Amino acid sequence: MRRQPSNQLSKKGLTVWRLYGTIQSVIILAIAVGLGFLSYLFDWSNWIMFAVAVVVLVNAYLSIYLFPKIRWQRWRYEVREAEIELQHGLFIVNRTLIPMVRVQHVDTAEGPILRKYGLASITISTAATNHSIPALVTEEADELRNRISTFARVAKDDV
Amino acid sequence: MSEPRYKLHWISAVVETAKALKELIGPFVILVFVNGFKGESTAPWYIQYWSLILFGVLLVFTLVSGIVKWRRFDYWFEDQELRIVSGLFVRKKRYIPFERIQSLDYTEGIFHRPFQLVKVKIETAGSSSGKDAEAELTAITKDAAQQIEKEIKQSKKMKVLGPEPALFDQIEWQLIREPEEVQIVQQPAPVIFSMTTSDLLMLATTSGGIGVILSGAIVFLSQIEELIPYDWLFGELKSFIRIGIFVVAILVVLGFLIVWLLSVAMTFLANYDFKVIREKDNLVITRGLLEKKRVTVPLKRVQNITITENPIRQLFGYGAVIINSAGGVGEGSRIKLFPLAKRNSMIEPLQELFPNMDFSEPTKKIGGRGKRFYYRFKLLVTLLPIAIVSYNFFPYGLLMLLLLPLVGLHGIWQYKTAAYTILTKQLTMRFRTISRQTVFTEKNRIQSMELDQNYFHRRKKVATLMVNVKSGMTLDAPAIRHMPQEDAEKFLSWYEFHPESTESQIEPDN
Repeated sequence: MRRQPSNQLSKKGLTVWRLYGTIQSVIILAIAVGLGFLSYLFDWSNWIMFAVAVVVLVNAYLSIYLFPKIRWQRWRYEVREAEIELQHGLFIVNRTLIPMVRVQHVDTAEGPILRKYGLASITISTAATNHSIPALVTEEADELRNRISTFARVAKDDV
Repeated sequence: MSEPRYKLHWISAVVETAKALKELIGPFVILVFVNGFKGESTAPWYIQYWSLILFGVLLVFTLVSGIVKWRRFDYWFEDQELRIVSGLFVRKKRYIPFERIQSLDYTEGIFHRPFQLVKVKIETAGSSSGKDAEAELTAITKDAAQQIEKEIKQSKKMKVLGPEPALFDQIEWQLIREPEEVQIVQQPAPVIFSMTTSDLLMLATTSGGIGVILSGAIVFLSQIEELIPYDWLFGELKSFIRIGIFVVAILVVLGFLIVWLLSVAMTFLANYDFKVIREKDNLVITRGLLEKKRVTVPLKRVQNITITENPIRQLFGYGAVIINSAGGVGEGSRIKLFPLAKRNSMIEPLQELFPNMDFSEPTKKIGGRGKRFYYRFKLLVTLLPIAIVSYNFFPYGLLMLLLLPLVGLHGIWQYKTAAYTILTKQLTMRFRTISRQTVFTEKNRIQSMELDQNYFHRRKKVATLMVNVKSGMTLDAPAIRHMPQEDAEKFLSWYEFHPESTESQIEPDN
């Protein structure tokens, strides 16, 4: 059994994901309220409203509580001298191995919400694929980006 | 700017126009069908025939724009670069440094042949800017094409010694030697692979392209059905409508036959005189009867090699070889190296081209633990349409149940095919969807490796392993599905860095 990559994401990342989930739930709630209004107007069956309510509640539970939790627990990364290893996934757990010599460039990005929490995401590009680590503490992301690009500078073009 | 500027041959105006017209012909036919047979009407002629007038205008426009494109296109050589200026209002300049040019691909279409012309496509080292990285000269004489090649060769030679002042003597020596070297290239290069007529016929008849054209034909037939004057044909035979169905069935079969013959003919023409030649470090592939194509692939840009055998071909011991190149755009990066060859006679030329690779069969099977994953989920998914159809068309719908054994057998077939071998510097993977694929990948061509596990996989300790390889602007990701987790992890640790074998990892040799 292969051991998991050692590092976890910042705990604040979980908060941000919960925030995303909340925003999504609010939008769905707004749609549901709209439906409720229509239902009242056109005298639809109560069952529809009941089903909509269940959907709203289940969605809120999943996208605010359960999914962020599992995702956060599952997300792991490790940057070693010669390779980067990632592990993530909700239903399907994906483990990715990227050798440093294959890395072409590294980007960091921070959206408004991420920045508010002092977080950034990092994207590692090879000649064929892109891989990203979300929700790292900004300084850590910058440090990681520099480290990867230093390591990756040894790379030789094989494409 | 003393360098002479060159124009394309005037036929390129015709080629451009023809290309634009080809795109117009589809909508034109549809419009004519929609508007043409509306019968008499009292509207003025310019309303009745508005579609034809529109197309007339478009026709003139394409012709003019074709001519303008040709007139306003210049190319020349300057400063170790191929420079192209084009466009009427927006002058587009493209400067391509010779050292960035990976290869020149030639196409001789039917317009080119009578005038000894070629279309030249210039492939550059793939930057991430997509298809903008290349340029195309629609029609130039073969001499002009040769001149480009010569310019590139010469400048590449200068490049080696140019910036080194200490080696000044050698520069002179090198330049003096030059004509001799150019002559060496002129000698016929060894033919690595060619196809006999019987191979070609076999290729055409077992081509997978049939399916594509077939579906196109079905669409076409479904359109044409409305044009068949049923009333006139069967007006008095309404009671004998069965005959009508019979006739339609025959028409459909006939249609399929024609389509199939068409596809055979097209494959035959496209692959006629197929030849693979090795010129130094490049593979040169030439093919075609009416339209001759010549594609150059630098050997060092080949990322992986796939032997693919569709079931019919596998039965007769035939297969095709496809290589993925890091260059090229879209389908241009997946190149058919051998369109069809006997399975046992393709290894030798492959070995000659890629001496570092091992083309032996993958030996390790994936074992029984993953077997159920190959059919269980698929059976579950097929149950849904079966249930729906059976319910709606009750007695006969049950025939859909026959799908179940088919789907199950397909899964087991896939399971039986899956195999792999891990060598020191190379992976060999075999799997199938319908065709059996055997992929040979060198370690230094693998961009990243992934291992996927869903919930059920984790419970049974199996995993799917994916190998990401660059293919043009995108990626090719062969995968071995549902293999034991510990074996999949062996792939990862094989791919990982090992301190004891440092040099082979950090400086992989090509």
